[in-house]
Amino acid sequence: MRIICPFCGERELGEFTYLGDAKPQRPAADAGEDAVYDYVYLRDNIAGVMSEHWYHGGGCRAWLKVTRNTLTHEISAVEPTAGAGAAKVGA
Amino acid sequence: MADFSWDVRSPLDRALVAGPYGVQGDAGVALTEIRNFDLIQVMARRGKAGETAKAAQARFGAAAPETPKTVATADATLIWSGPDQFLVLSKGGKHTMAALAPVFAGSASLSDQSHARALISISGDKARAMLAKLSSVDLHPDVFGVGAAAATSMDHTSVTLWRGDDRNGQAVFNLLVFATFAESLWHTILDSAAEYGATIGHSEDL
Ligand SMILES: [Zn+2]
Repeated sequence: MRIICPFCGERELGEFTYLGDAKPQRPAADAGEDAVYDYVYLRDNIAGVMSEHWYHGGGCRAWLKVTRNTLTHEISAVEPTAGAGAAKVGA
Repeated sequence: MADFSWDVRSPLDRALVAGPYGVQGDAGVALTEIRNFDLIQVMARRGKAGETAKAAQARFGAAAPETPKTVATADATLIWSGPDQFLVLSKGGKHTMAALAPVFAGSASLSDQSHARALISISGDKARAMLAKLSSVDLHPDVFGVGAAAATSMDHTSVTLWRGDDRNGQAVFNLLVFATFAESLWHTILDSAAEYGATIGHSEDL
């Protein structure tokens, strides 16, 4: 598997670390215990297209949001997460 | 208290043995460690990329790299190392931490890497063949020309790799590696270069 880093270009999988589902959003400070429990522990086990966080630690050290099909490994989009350099590649 | 003094030496001081290595005859690979350089990491603070770029332009008379490449200025090389960050490589104390801190005050965070990295220069007509065993980055001159740079990994070790000016008509690849990983990567490089024959040395010149 290869990932096209928006900053570095196409790189081998070994340069990246998988974090997990990019969908969960941190609940508001006053959200109930259930919302925090969901955010911290509960994950969907998606068979199909999924939004994931990957870290280019063996390269530019940017966090990326990768849209990947977990059945075929087909990657349809790679975007930088908010933060350093994101504006430069149009995110 | 016992007398104590810091003995400044290269991370490759022990591992590097100057002279020929591997197959005898015309060396296909030349490995030169560059010693005693100044290296400063510049990272723009959140929302300050524009100010950092302006400060760099004013200081170096050239725009800092915004894509994986190097920019040669009159007395320094600016090397892209990631989004909104670059390294300043120089000699002779012109661009030290003390010199650059006021330049980027309020716009970027600086970190002195002068003694934290080893710098290895790789050339020779088998340099690219040797590097192909260590790197998955395509180093063919059509895609990795003079001035191209990459933040990448070799042998599971993070490196900053860039192509310097050609020497004697041959490509020169420069490699910055963390000091504590330098000896390990050096041995991997030697293993990779042995079949082509290598000539090994060190230099004070960038
Ligand atoms: Zn990258």
